[in-house]
Amino acid sequence: MMNQVRSGDAMLTDWRGAAGRFEAALGGAVLGQTRAIRLLTIALFARGHVLLEGDVGVGKTTLLRAVARALGGAYERVEGTVDMMPTDLVYHTYLAEDGRPRVEPGPVLRQSEDLSIFFFNEINRARPQVHALLLRLMAERTLTAFNREYRFPNLQVFADRNRVEREETFELPAAARDRFLMEIGLEAPQDAESRRALVFDPRFHDTDALIAGLDAGVLDHAALPGIAAAIQHGVQASPAIEAYVIGLWDALVRPAQAGIRLPGLDMEALVQGGASPRGVAFLVRAARVRAWLEGRDWMVPEDIRAIFPEVMAHRVFLEPIYEMRRAAIVPELCRAVFETVPAP
Amino acid sequence: MPIPPAIRLALILSALTLSAAAEAQVRSVEVRTPRPFGYFLGDLVQAQVDLVVEPGFRLQSASLPQPGALTYWLDLRDLDATASVYGDAQRVRIALTYQTFYAALDARALEIPGFTVTFVSESDHGATTVKAEVPAWSFNVSPLREVQPPARSDPRDYLRPDGQVGPGDPRPLLLGAAASTALALLAFAGLAHDRTWWPFQARRSRPFAVAARRIRALTRRTEGDAAPREALLALHQALDTSAGRRLLADDLGAFLEGYQAFKPSGPDLARFFEASRRTFFGPEAEAKSGALSGADLASLARRLARVERSA
Repeated sequence: MMNQVRSGDAMLTDWRGAAGRFEAALGGAVLGQTRAIRLLTIALFARGHVLLEGDVGVGKTTLLRAVARALGGAYERVEGTVDMMPTDLVYHTYLAEDGRPRVEPGPVLRQSEDLSIFFFNEINRARPQVHALLLRLMAERTLTAFNREYRFPNLQVFADRNRVEREETFELPAAARDRFLMEIGLEAPQDAESRRALVFDPRFHDTDALIAGLDAGVLDHAALPGIAAAIQHGVQASPAIEAYVIGLWDALVRPAQAGIRLPGLDMEALVQGGASPRGVAFLVRAARVRAWLEGRDWMVPEDIRAIFPEVMAHRVFLEPIYEMRRAAIVPELCRAVFETVPAP
Repeated sequence: MPIPPAIRLALILSALTLSAAAEAQVRSVEVRTPRPFGYFLGDLVQAQVDLVVEPGFRLQSASLPQPGALTYWLDLRDLDATASVYGDAQRVRIALTYQTFYAALDARALEIPGFTVTFVSESDHGATTVKAEVPAWSFNVSPLREVQPPARSDPRDYLRPDGQVGPGDPRPLLLGAAASTALALLAFAGLAHDRTWWPFQARRSRPFAVAARRIRALTRRTEGDAAPREALLALHQALDTSAGRRLLADDLGAFLEGYQAFKPSGPDLARFFEASRRTFFGPEAEAKSGALSGADLASLARRLARVERSA
């Protein structure tokens, strides 16, 4: 028994090293995005789907391609368009050379059950029908097609969304957003050194060469689900941290009762709902991974705080009158929650 | 204004002016004046007319004389009619104020003209009206000066000197000014208190002093043992209050940057955060290692309180 625990610990330590190499490899290809890379690593080990959001050309796609390359495993990519239908993801019909119609598996099924990363570019350009297909794919990692059920045990959905355009786009339904573990906002790097390198260094101009230069398969994608489960079991939560998380949850959903006051907002009528139990479970899952990455097998409040905005912000639904300003209000609310809830 | 019944110019006019039918309906007409003599140019002459009529009759107010100039020397300044019950009858009392502008050269009697008022009794079969004559009455006016005053060389001598104005008493004004000043100062003090202007600047609270007292009380008996959770919490609360937000272990560096005075205690604070982290969040085994003794915690809190006092 003791031996087994030790070997489990050793395995977790080895994997922590691998995670560090993974982060370093990504950091070499995508400059100035340390935080986003750390969050993506956490999402990988928490087995959660990720939605990247940001301006045009800040490197959303490059980052996700780099992750796919460093992770190894089968990788599929689709571009969201307004005329895309769910069937476009599942199968592909065409006339073959002999003039006979053919039906072949589409992007999701093509790699069959080996699919580890499904990358949905510009997800908000796709119609709600497509989002609905993703609901099951993301929540259960299964899909029914050709009269059988396909399982994707290693699947992780990465999506990106550009937040500049609003025309011909479809806002993701709340149910779909809730299934994403994190919504990571990507900004262009702020430090002058990275900015200069990105603009002048030819290495960053050819994305294909940049991605091809990465070590393929730093992490073993097939072992990820197992190690993710080991992390969840290995990292402990003390009663104090449990109370802390519940306190944060309460304060986020009922800020007025928690004594949070933000200027110019009616706190009683600010939060309409959201912050689902699934969301809070995701929060703890991601926090455990963060604690493990930091070399601890027990959680501290900082673990929660480090991932809270990305995991929880998109699950809070404000009253319609405040929804237009949510980009300003929700981060402020998250900050106030952490300033108010006592830890321990 | 009640008219003293000095003179009664009571004229019961029943037989003279009223028809036989009216006689029964207007019981009496009575004019009362204060005095019939001793009036000068510009004086007000008050009169009160009492009319007693059968019940059911009411005054037609349009029949009353209108205030204004009556003749070239007489104005009706004011008129007020009130009705009241008078025994089994109805009484209407008309208060009249005349002003005379007659510049008399000798004492003489002037006549104020009479007038007629109409009373109406309305029934299902139609309206009955009855007129009541208020008779003319007279009063005596006197001249203000002799007819031929003696000649004066300077025309200004005809004028009477201006009345004297007394020196006045400034004390009530001074008192009022003093009271207003005192009130203004009081209000200003209230405003300054509300806005925390000098000297009402709120003294900075001293969270570490409170924490040090509390930790001493909690750890007095168990100096050597690990500090109890309540004692750790007390110092956490002091740090939170002083930072204005919840301070986690990772925030210590930023906190010390903002509060340079606490910088020398930085390593001790880091040890405290580490110990608290293990105590509250770590597994059982972790809690024992690296724990902060009660005495150490108390001395740290004391040191922080001292820095806070001198800051």
